[in-house]
Amino acid sequence: MSNNPSELPILQVRNLKKYFHVSKGTLHAVDDISFDIRQGKTLGMVGESGCGKSTTGRLLVRLHESDSGSIRYDGIEVTRASSKEMKVLRTKMQMIFQDPYSSINPRHTVASIIGEPLKIYKKVRNMQEYEEKVHQLMETVGLADRLYDAYPHELDGGRRQRIGIARALALEPQFIVCDEPVSALDVSIQAQILNLLMDLQDKLKLTYLFITHDLSVVKHISDDIVIMYLGQIVEQANTEELFRHPIHPYSQALSSAIPVPRLNARKERIILKSEVVSPIDPKPGCRFAPRCNYAKPECGEADPVLREVMPGRLVACHRAEMFV
Amino acid sequence: MGNNTLSRFMARQSKNITQFWRQFSRNKLAVASLFLVLIFALIAIFADFLYSYDFVTSNSLENALLKPGQTGTVYYHDKEITHTFILGSDNYGRDILGRLVHGARVSMIIGFATVAMAIAVGGLLGAIAGYKGGLFDTLIMRVTDIVLSIPTILMSIAIVAALGNSFFNLLIAISTSMIPGYIRIVRASIISIKDQEYVEAARCIGASDLRIVLRHILPNITSPVIVQSTLNVGSSILWASSLSFLGLGILPPKPEWGNMLSEAREFIQYAPHLLFAPGLAILLTVLAYNLIGDGLRDALDPKLKR
Amino acid sequence: MDKILEVKDLHVHYFSNRKTVRAINNLSLDMQRGRVLGLVGETGAGKTTLALSILNMIRAPQGKIISGSIRFDGKDILAMSKQELRELRGKDIAMIFQDPMTALNPVLTVGDQIAETIFKHEKVSKDEAWAKAEKMLETVGIPGARAKEYPHQFSGGMKQRVVIALSLACNPRLLLADEPTTALDVTIQAQVLDLMRHLIRTYNTSVLFITHSLGLVVENCDEVATMYAGEIVEYGTVEQVFGNPLHPYTRGLFGSLPDYSEGAARLRPIPGLMPDPTNLPRGCYFSPRCPHVMPLCEELHPTHTSMDGHLVKCHLYQENANVEQPI
Ligand SMILES: Nc1ncnc2c1ncn2[C@@H]1O[C@H](COP(=O)(O)OP(=O)(O)OP(=O)(O)O)[C@@H](O)[C@H]1O
Ligand SMILES: Nc1ncnc2c1ncn2[C@@H]1O[C@H](COP(=O)(O)OP(=O)(O)OP(=O)(O)O)[C@@H](O)[C@H]1O
Ligand SMILES: [Mg+2]
Ligand SMILES: [Mg+2]
Repeated sequence: MSNNPSELPILQVRNLKKYFHVSKGTLHAVDDISFDIRQGKTLGMVGESGCGKSTTGRLLVRLHESDSGSIRYDGIEVTRASSKEMKVLRTKMQMIFQDPYSSINPRHTVASIIGEPLKIYKKVRNMQEYEEKVHQLMETVGLADRLYDAYPHELDGGRRQRIGIARALALEPQFIVCDEPVSALDVSIQAQILNLLMDLQDKLKLTYLFITHDLSVVKHISDDIVIMYLGQIVEQANTEELFRHPIHPYSQALSSAIPVPRLNARKERIILKSEVVSPIDPKPGCRFAPRCNYAKPECGEADPVLREVMPGRLVACHRAEMFV
Repeated sequence: MGNNTLSRFMARQSKNITQFWRQFSRNKLAVASLFLVLIFALIAIFADFLYSYDFVTSNSLENALLKPGQTGTVYYHDKEITHTFILGSDNYGRDILGRLVHGARVSMIIGFATVAMAIAVGGLLGAIAGYKGGLFDTLIMRVTDIVLSIPTILMSIAIVAALGNSFFNLLIAISTSMIPGYIRIVRASIISIKDQEYVEAARCIGASDLRIVLRHILPNITSPVIVQSTLNVGSSILWASSLSFLGLGILPPKPEWGNMLSEAREFIQYAPHLLFAPGLAILLTVLAYNLIGDGLRDALDPKLKR
Repeated sequence: MDKILEVKDLHVHYFSNRKTVRAINNLSLDMQRGRVLGLVGETGAGKTTLALSILNMIRAPQGKIISGSIRFDGKDILAMSKQELRELRGKDIAMIFQDPMTALNPVLTVGDQIAETIFKHEKVSKDEAWAKAEKMLETVGIPGARAKEYPHQFSGGMKQRVVIALSLACNPRLLLADEPTTALDVTIQAQVLDLMRHLIRTYNTSVLFITHSLGLVVENCDEVATMYAGEIVEYGTVEQVFGNPLHPYTRGLFGSLPDYSEGAARLRPIPGLMPDPTNLPRGCYFSPRCPHVMPLCEELHPTHTSMDGHLVKCHLYQENANVEQPI
């Protein structure tokens, strides 16, 4: 994705697939996606609800087993790592979860949640070191010391999400999957958390996969973006480029639909057709075609492939040239 | 330094225990119930000092069906004693209070041991079925279904018949009938909890399956298990008496509360006190266990801490 | 302009764990006929509580309207009988709930649900009600033939449109829309709002539009009210409030947004959290988080100050403005 050879990808995903077998058929949650994430950068992943973003994130940290394809992290093949290799990998790749309410155990105290990875990996030699380290982690994410023995239900969503972040940081990972870490939060708390994530990235040289459906957030935080639609990547580019000039009709509609909180910023909205396409046993052809305002009969015939239509711009659309 | 760490650890543990006790003791009824159960246990342990076993199992028909507080003459070890029957006597002229005291031994053990065994076995199988899923789940649940489809009474008879008629085998027979309930409850709770994001988060930080089940899942399913077990204590005492009615397990004249209750049924019209004494004992035990269960559940729930 | 809704000095409390949650504190608010009023504010500010109070749906023992008056078209809602309230709800005032799935009955077809509402409130035959239900679905862009389908056969965005069709079926004069699009993604959100705007124009409905998103307010509303800890701290036309936000809280909200078209490196969130509604501070409720806090703010609760109809409840603006009746 980058033209600069010095910025090597730390994570390479190739032809990754994950199907779920449900009662009505096979659900194509992630269907043949490939992308790279550059070291120390943030890749934003956007798409509507149910398009397979969380599934992708979980595949990367191997909370799901993939059906086929490869995930290479720093030269190690994640999909085939033995449990011993996995144990090492987990110290390098971590995840922050979407829901700050269900992602922390209601029966554990703040300290025992944050300190659990330290115990599992025996990162500390004694209780004193353990307590010091937990206090230090709490300070890093901005949790007051007095909350050490507090239980999660005493805390609001923003503080709970900080606990989740501290837990992810405990093993000092290099790469973190952030699965909609701010979607459940209020605007002002959302801003506090986004600032924290960006500060941590600067300080600890972290690499993020940042999953969200909020375009203004993704624009703010990420360097590169992939846009997903029904299990596939429809467009992939540098953030600035993509927002300046979205190519895929779905990206265009997304970008036109962002509400702008300023006077006289009203702009033309692209209103899509409201057809529903099911991810269960999808028909061949472009999956976006039923909602696309530019669809031609041939769009329903062959699957569009993700191809470079301009330098640095990958788009999966039969008629991409029209929008360049 | 090491010493220091140890003392800090001890301090933290003792703090946890104090905190737990403070929490539990806020529920006065639960504390009272705990006290009652302790008294019952003490009585059971020191039963022989209160009444001798021979005395409460030997007949003296001339004293049959005495009212509470009446006195009678008893021939015991070839001596003639004047004895006050505090709670009266039964149809064989045996002292009811004495039988109650000795019955506490058997009944308390049956009530607690069977439930404890059922929780241990049922909980483990339910945890495996719920957490592992797939083949384990199918296998365990199908076997459970088969067990459930056999009438419980037949099951118990078959178990005692196969293993031999002893007290321990009686416990096994009774707890086997309760195991499927725990398998189902634990499995259902685990299935609802294991997809919570915090369980995924635990896997993500490298926790082993054992750790996930012990630290993250089990503490969150204590309430349904406690509720189920409070119901089971009473029914297992009564179940034991049904079995002894069929000639299995505890046999007369050995005193046992359920037994006493069922024997007393015949005399309900002339001597209702025969029914009240063991009935009240069972009721109090069950009630106490219920209240302790409530207190325990609340004390373990961090949401109610303050 | 005539007022369709007049809320005066409203106080609403909830009771939980022997504590009193002061959800709405001395709130006054007017709505004009045919206008859209945006209501913004963070979680727990009392937005949903206000909407429920307007329908007189706060129920003991959880909560109670302590004092105040709510007049709809001149009639006092809080004094209405059960029968009058039943007619009011659904017919004159309709509400779109935060979660569309709770408003639909999963075992009835969507057509049945809409027709039933129409049949209940209008003097029509069953067949006429069904025909109107199909027409309503078509206005929200769902083919009338799909009226015979059940809610689970629709996607999230379509369900939300069914809910909108349901709430607009009897041409209500006031629509309370509680975060109608939070559950939807932007492309579907755009569809739904487009439709709502169109319907509002056709039927001259007044709308209370509750949302977290300032972007949606500027695109859909005529007036805005900012709510904080159960009271309105700022009120004005969209031009007034977005052109010149006065209250430090409203400004804080703007600072928190990762504004899509601006390349600011760091966001400027409001520090701290909303005060505990069981234990509100004595002076201005925002004072513990306010960057411009003065000694006066911690002592005295501010009253409304008006500047050409742009109302603000803050001591910063108190001296040099003529103190008016609170809205
Ligand atoms: N364990 C599972 N079994 C069956 N289907 C699943 C499972 N997990 C996810 N899916 C399905 O896979 C698809 C992708 O789900 P995923 O959670 O990745 O979506 P998402 O993009 O993260 O959506 P959201 O924005 O709502 O979180 C959905 O259609 C979902 O219903
Ligand atoms: N039934 C209830 N019992 C006790 N407290 C309640 C109840 N319902 C709401 N509250 C409290 O009243 C306050 C206002 O709640 P309300 O739901 O009106 O907020 P809101 O502005 O709609 O928030 P959100 O944006 O999260 O929907 C909150 O502090 C809330 O916790
Ligand atoms: Mg997701
Ligand atoms: Mg609300």
